[in-house]
Amino acid sequence: MAGGAIRLERVEKTYGGAGGVQAIAPLSVEMRAGEAVSIVGPSGCGKSTLMRLIAGLDAPTRGTISIGSTPVDGPVPDIGIVFQRDLLLEWRSVMGNVMLPAEIKRQAGLETRAGELLKELDVAGFAGAYPWQLSGGMRQRVAIARALLTKPALLFLDEPFSALDALTRDQMNVLLQRLQTTQQVTTLLITHSIAEAIFCADRVLVMSGRPGAILDDIRVPFERPRRLAVRETPEFTAIGRRIREHFEKAGVLVG
Amino acid sequence: MKAKNFLAGMMWPLLSGAFGLALWEGLVKGFGVPVFLLPAPTDVAETIVAKWSYLLSQLAITVMAAGLGLIMSVALGLVAGAAIAGSRLVDRLLTPWLVVAHAIPKVVIAPLFLVWFGFGLQSEMFFVVAFTFFPVIVNTVTGLKSADPEQLLMVRAMGASRLQVLHKIQFPNALPSICAGIKLAVSLAPVGAVIGEFVASNAGLGHLLIRAVGDTDTSLAFAAVTVFSIFGVLLWRAAEWVERLVLPWHPSQRETLMLRDATT
Repeated sequence: MAGGAIRLERVEKTYGGAGGVQAIAPLSVEMRAGEAVSIVGPSGCGKSTLMRLIAGLDAPTRGTISIGSTPVDGPVPDIGIVFQRDLLLEWRSVMGNVMLPAEIKRQAGLETRAGELLKELDVAGFAGAYPWQLSGGMRQRVAIARALLTKPALLFLDEPFSALDALTRDQMNVLLQRLQTTQQVTTLLITHSIAEAIFCADRVLVMSGRPGAILDDIRVPFERPRRLAVRETPEFTAIGRRIREHFEKAGVLVG
Repeated sequence: MKAKNFLAGMMWPLLSGAFGLALWEGLVKGFGVPVFLLPAPTDVAETIVAKWSYLLSQLAITVMAAGLGLIMSVALGLVAGAAIAGSRLVDRLLTPWLVVAHAIPKVVIAPLFLVWFGFGLQSEMFFVVAFTFFPVIVNTVTGLKSADPEQLLMVRAMGASRLQVLHKIQFPNALPSICAGIKLAVSLAPVGAVIGEFVASNAGLGHLLIRAVGDTDTSLAFAAVTVFSIFGVLLWRAAEWVERLVLPWHPSQRETLMLRDATT
């Protein structure tokens, strides 16, 4: 999709005015439309702040952000966000939850797409169920369908799978990777998991601890669709080692 | 299965009730207590049967006052609650007044309503409002303020307007709490109406009760209390039924389902 390219120029964020906490050090990065990018870094490195800035939910202290050719200066409606918690509305059915963005953006005729997304995410049989009747993995699938409903140019995922068990998480990685191909959406995935960051992306940005800065920008060469077995290849392990060494050097990981 | 469970559940309260009534009947008849002091259950039943239509017509007046007052109270509570939850300024200006208004013993100021609104339905109705608005407002405010901050952030990111945030997130999220407030108001409204009738009316069950006591027609007074209690229970049941209809997704409804499943 055109318009999905993101450009950050010397973006900086400090909370609490001068002398406050610097969450993000001056940072410049560019993402191509349709690209799948992962950001991996330690807790509190400003990953989520970065996402809020790009989504226009928060303003940078300095620097500019643009999506396509439009500068970001308020909430960007053309973005689908998946949060760590699924944030499903308990009083709505699965279908009602998926349709929420269409109601808010007043877009009609998206019922068919909602049904197709639920099918692609393997939860089509639960359209009429309430969220409490679903497992954690299923709930997060519904949250992803909701984020994709209005065909956003960008899909942001903020540690979306960190509350899931390891097996479910692997399954979700495969699913996300498949969606990136079928939905052709620019994806920004924020994660703590090195393996997940590599598996789900064309490019991994490694972030340092506070204030957040980009330590490395790594291309991931594997063909799509990928299988989980790709994680056992020497190339994959080499990328993982390269990321880990950054964290060891920064003192985040001691091993 | 369900009907059988229902009967089994009803058996003990029925047995206990029947035993209590029999004891009351036996004591009153056995000791020859005069009817004007304490009527036996059979006397009360006789009065209810004999004055059935009169009691119902008086009940209708009380129900009318309670109902109208309740509707006004809920409307007032929702609007004021939304205003308080939505604006810090309104909260600061209005909340102290509400707290003070609630602290005033309502029964004490009931005669003032007679002065302000005159004799009859109007007075009663406003007294019911005074008696019931507080739990509705408090629960509305609490409910509206307890929306998940991340859910609010999420719909803001979708580009939701303030009205949409209220309509799509805050209000449905507040509904269980609002229902709890309304249920409290429902249980208070008939009491408010009767007190209003004690003071400022020449009709309704409250007035009937005062007159019956004045005439030492204790049987009639007991009949009025009985009719009033049955009405209160039915009203409460109705409120619960509506709540179940409005909140099918709520954990409180789920739990009853599970418990019911567990006992079958």
